[in-house]
Amino acid sequence: MFNNLFRGRRDRSAQVAKERLLTVLVHDRVKLTPELLEQLKDELSAVVARYVPDAEPAEIEVTLLRGESTDHIKADIPLRRAKADE
Amino acid sequence: MARVITITSGKGGVGKTTTTANLGTALAMQGARVAVIDADIGLRNLDVVLGLENRIVYDLIDVVEGRARMRQALIKDKRLPELCLLPAAQTRDKEAIGPEDMVALTNQMRPEFDYVLIDCPAGIEGGFRNAIAGADEVLIVTTPEVSAVRDADRIVGLVEAAEKGPPRLIINRLNTRLVSRGEMLSMEEVVEILAIDPVGVVPDDESIVISTNRGEVAVFDQNSLAGRAFINIARRVAGEDVPLLGVTDQQGMLDRLFGLFGRKSR
Repeated sequence: MFNNLFRGRRDRSAQVAKERLLTVLVHDRVKLTPELLEQLKDELSAVVARYVPDAEPAEIEVTLLRGESTDHIKADIPLRRAKADE
Repeated sequence: MARVITITSGKGGVGKTTTTANLGTALAMQGARVAVIDADIGLRNLDVVLGLENRIVYDLIDVVEGRARMRQALIKDKRLPELCLLPAAQTRDKEAIGPEDMVALTNQMRPEFDYVLIDCPAGIEGGFRNAIAGADEVLIVTTPEVSAVRDADRIVGLVEAAEKGPPRLIINRLNTRLVSRGEMLSMEEVVEILAIDPVGVVPDDESIVISTNRGEVAVFDQNSLAGRAFINIARRVAGEDVPLLGVTDQQGMLDRLFGLFGRKSR
């Protein structure tokens, strides 16, 4: 309790180590190289564009996440707002 | 019939050999018949850690290639007759044997011992494959550092792929002061990241350096915290139910207590 009060704002290095490790390990386990990840993004945005014309293929973000029992590939694909909304 | 247990880590320098020597000695102190095998061909080290380096006549490769019988190559520890060492060859390299040789070797030893512990070389190549080939169980040693934990995770995957059953974890050189300040990964965090069961935590302890210098293992030293941790690991390996937080928890509590009185941590 006291410890937390008097500590600086910087994250404890153990916390930083844990977060860095979790990210690295998901990448190690999935064996997805940066090139493959790029390819995945391109193909994913092509598929999405076929169904959703407003998708922004250039803005697509694919990240690997570690969950409690399973790891995830998360794709974030922003959509352009339709003109009528503006 | 012996349980064959390989001690491995991926990364070098995390304490595989020290763990093998101490765990083997602790199991033999409990009365079990134990053989420790140095599988690090070309980089023999288990002999010096055990203080048996002056007694080597034959080695593992001599047995595999038929120049010596198993009985001739095994070195009995004079302080502890239940403990035997099968040393690595120093003048050969890892390609001198294959996985099938290690399977044959360990099978030959099974009837004579209760435990056969194999000290695995660092890395994930041939030497590692040889060292796990004959194993029934695998113990992975890591330290609470990003590089060691990452390599341990690679080994977890390889051990599972080799269908050796889930490996168990030994966390070595845990500095309780750093952990209590949030500047070192705790046992719980390392266990959460690697998602395998822990079989023990060994505190960072100067006495290991001193006992290794002398060729005596830490478990012989009643005052060594690390030695006591290795004895607890041996009891858990033997199937006894020993609470995991023993040593580190006590020390952590002491630190907090001293902290209250304003004592500066080292």
